[in-house]
Amino acid sequence: MLELYHWEPNGVFLKPLIALEEKAAAFESHWFDPTTFEQLAASFPASTESRLTLEREGPILVADGTVIAGTSFMLEYIAEAVPGPSLAPRSPWDRYRARAWAQFLGLSLGATTSALGCARYLTPMLEERDPVALRAQIDRIEPLERRAAWLAVVDARQDEAALRQRLAMPIGRLEAALAQHAWLAGDQYSIADIDAYALVDPLRDLAPDIVNVTQTPRLVEWLGHIAERPAVRAARARSRSSAPERAFVPGIEPARWG
Amino acid sequence: MSMLRLYHWEPNANSGKPMLALAEKGVEYESHYLDLLKFDQHQPEYLKINPDGTIPAMVHGDRVLTESTPMMQYVDEEFDGPPLQPVSPAERWRMRWWMRFFDAYFGPSLSMIGWSVFVGPAARQRDPAELRAAIDRIPLEARRIAWRKALFNEFSEAELAESRRRVVWATGILESHLATHEWIAGGTFSLGDINGFNLGYALPLSQPAVCNDEKTPHIMEWLRRIYERPATRQTWARGRTQLASRAALLERRRPSGDT
Repeated sequence: MLELYHWEPNGVFLKPLIALEEKAAAFESHWFDPTTFEQLAASFPASTESRLTLEREGPILVADGTVIAGTSFMLEYIAEAVPGPSLAPRSPWDRYRARAWAQFLGLSLGATTSALGCARYLTPMLEERDPVALRAQIDRIEPLERRAAWLAVVDARQDEAALRQRLAMPIGRLEAALAQHAWLAGDQYSIADIDAYALVDPLRDLAPDIVNVTQTPRLVEWLGHIAERPAVRAARARSRSSAPERAFVPGIEPARWG
Repeated sequence: MSMLRLYHWEPNANSGKPMLALAEKGVEYESHYLDLLKFDQHQPEYLKINPDGTIPAMVHGDRVLTESTPMMQYVDEEFDGPPLQPVSPAERWRMRWWMRFFDAYFGPSLSMIGWSVFVGPAARQRDPAELRAAIDRIPLEARRIAWRKALFNEFSEAELAESRRRVVWATGILESHLATHEWIAGGTFSLGDINGFNLGYALPLSQPAVCNDEKTPHIMEWLRRIYERPATRQTWARGRTQLASRAALLERRRPSGDT
């Protein structure tokens, strides 16, 4: 029995939706709105790991009673535990590359893409809300880092220029890798591509000066191939708003030092 | 796929992860010791192997691996030997989640403190001009910033206080976890324990008020169980500095009267 608690099909929420659609898996979908803090309700499934996950707000997969958080590892879980077409890279070397990409991109783009998205879309949305009530909701959030991430969005403390500078290295490395290989880990589409796609695709909208057909032709071509997959279309079709590409919540914090 | 080479520093933190995994697995490798405090990892010969100038790095045939946690998983999956990852997908997920928590949350806070009290002062024994030149050779900007802060003691009191808060808090989380799980992943010794040991073996010495037999008995017992494994003994015996010798504090004291 699989239950997925997710928001709009964008960013980290998109990853398990794509993987479960690729597997043609039967799962119960629970759509929730993290901007109204439904995920903090006592009735929401939780584990030590889901409360502390470094991705902050994200999807939760409940599999046979285990409450799974952390989307790169959720993808590995789906690849290994759910029957259906293979999504795991095949050899130990390909799996090394998938994990190294997921770690590198999760800690770099994972922070930057969500921060840019929040600055563009979430901060203005929260400005419409009653500030006192909002602050009271945020003040109840544990742990402190998770609360601080929301406060940074409310107070619009994101330095967009600095965020954009941080895109150059990961995007450059992806473009170089895709010039060598069609997919990120091995000669087939895998969870490595799903993981990266969910973090990179929003940048076509958020940073069109950095991700575009002139400067990153391989990356744009790879995004296009993935977007055409039936499973990706099916995952996107689970949107309840007219604009899933605007759905952002706080993600992993940028490295505090080195 | 023949020769296996590992470029590493002390059996400590990231370098110790593949060293201990290889020892548990019983895999022979060619060891290349790089002295972190002499900036061996930023020398041109090493940058040909890992242009990012980080350690450890593993070379297996024409493959170069530079991320220490995925490197351990590669060691387990590529070579024969006792399995170091659980069979159940749920336990494998838990192992991976905790390794990320160690690598990206607990570890950086602990190492900021470690660099401010150990790496910085040790490296400051050297000529300042030489130090500045050494920093300029570091390829990754984030690493340059980290070294500059460590070498010239530029950590702000607020940064260090936040790191200390995180270490105390994460130690409590780990203690709670080990109170209900025999090992990090659950019922099986795994790479998660190897990862956690490299992070935490010296906690009782570096954070004596936070990690000790009274406050964190489950962490202490877990560290001792890992320290008693032959692979851990063998790996920590390869240490050349006072860092590795700190593991000796995990020796169990004999009950009084036992001679």
